[in-house]
Amino acid sequence: MSTTNVKMEFYCDENRCIECHGCDVACKQAHHLPVGVNRRRVITLDEGIIGKERTLSIACQHCTDAPCEQVCPVDCFYIRADGIVLHDKETCIGCGYCLYACPFGAPQFPRSGVFGTKGSMDKCTFCAGGPEETLSDAEYKLYGQNRLAEGKLPVCVSMCSTKALLAGDSASVSDVITKRVLRRGNR
Amino acid sequence: MKNSLRTLLLLPLMVSAVFAAENPIWGEGRITNIFGYGKEGSTGLGPLFTLLQNQYFVPIFLAIIVGVPAVFLLHYLVIGPKVFPHGGKKIKVFSLFNRVIHQIAAISFIVIIPTGIVMVFGSFFGGGWFVTLCKDLHGLFTIPFALVVIPMFFMWVKEAIPNTDDIKWMMILGGYLSKEKKPIPAGKFNAGQKMWFWIATLGSLVMVITGVMMYLLDFDMSMLVSLTGLSQIDLLRLAAILHNVVGFAVLALFITHVYMSMFAIKGAVHSIIDGHMEEEEVRILHSSYYKKLQKEGKI
Repeated sequence: MSTTNVKMEFYCDENRCIECHGCDVACKQAHHLPVGVNRRRVITLDEGIIGKERTLSIACQHCTDAPCEQVCPVDCFYIRADGIVLHDKETCIGCGYCLYACPFGAPQFPRSGVFGTKGSMDKCTFCAGGPEETLSDAEYKLYGQNRLAEGKLPVCVSMCSTKALLAGDSASVSDVITKRVLRRGNR
Repeated sequence: MKNSLRTLLLLPLMVSAVFAAENPIWGEGRITNIFGYGKEGSTGLGPLFTLLQNQYFVPIFLAIIVGVPAVFLLHYLVIGPKVFPHGGKKIKVFSLFNRVIHQIAAISFIVIIPTGIVMVFGSFFGGGWFVTLCKDLHGLFTIPFALVVIPMFFMWVKEAIPNTDDIKWMMILGGYLSKEKKPIPAGKFNAGQKMWFWIATLGSLVMVITGVMMYLLDFDMSMLVSLTGLSQIDLLRLAAILHNVVGFAVLALFITHVYMSMFAIKGAVHSIIDGHMEEEEVRILHSSYYKKLQKEGKI
């Protein structure tokens, strides 16, 4: 990950997404997420409007100018050299500011403490773990699987039956989309 | 004994767990943060909140906690405190009820204000368990404060309504720029105290409401949603902005209140402890109130 011109990203092809929820179920299962925590979510836009209705799968979009990182009062976010936005759950105080800043509703807050206080924030890690030692038990417990370290793609993308959801460095993703457009006329 | 103690300690945890499981809001109705997603202007107040929190809130809080005490230190060194003899005749100014209500609010504030500052400068303190503890204390001590803020409002509101004395008081800055003991135009409360009263009651009410909104995060705000036309996430953003902005005023005036009672007027703090104020002090600092008491034959 030493090359800085690599930018990891998700892309959801709305022409292919069939709202099967394979991605969010796979994510929940792979990372053993508790009830109420949805790192990935399938949403429907313009529901019921014929010809306009479409579905998309969204999670943390790993923004280049991540607003969550800008507003965090305890600076628990860090952006990897490959553009993946991660955070330290041990530093997070569960204030909710990142959720207010995020345009995608990505940060999730499990109710863990006494009196149902908000616990540390949880969000999509691009299946890249967290600041703990890579592939350690501590990392697995706090952040779920680190599939990237194993040389695999994020689990949501691997599961996508129509290959609507893509992940990778921006050059490869746009390469796939370009080929689809050229060969199939954007279908 | 040990068992029952454990049960007692675990009770809130169990209650909250049951509450979380049965409550439809925290279960199925968890906020869809992306309420207006894909529609024009769906980012709402997000960019504004991001800009303010990223660039303005922390420096402004820093300016307040450094600047306000610095001004007072200068005042203390250059002009110095007002000292009144304590041993003469005293006038009863605060009832037991007044004092109890004030003391509950005072204790709450002594916890709420520093823990709030710790959160604002959370990265300085490194986050983690310490800042989380401060966050929980910040919320916990809101409960006693919320209980007394309404009685406090009603017991002092009559004395806190602005009048012409306040303009005269403002013109001479409350007489704090000189050491001369000339009668100062003020009723039971002077213009400065009135300012603090309004911020500490109505301002704090805004703080309590916005704080509770952020604390609960995904409770049923549908009434507010339909009332304001804002989505739930935008209401939370608005709450965060208001909580910080009103926080500036609360913090600045709280420091002022402490300085005035503890340092600027030596021994002034005793009036809220035993309810009595030195007659000389009332005559000079609250001259209109003194005249009123004389007229009523209470002195």
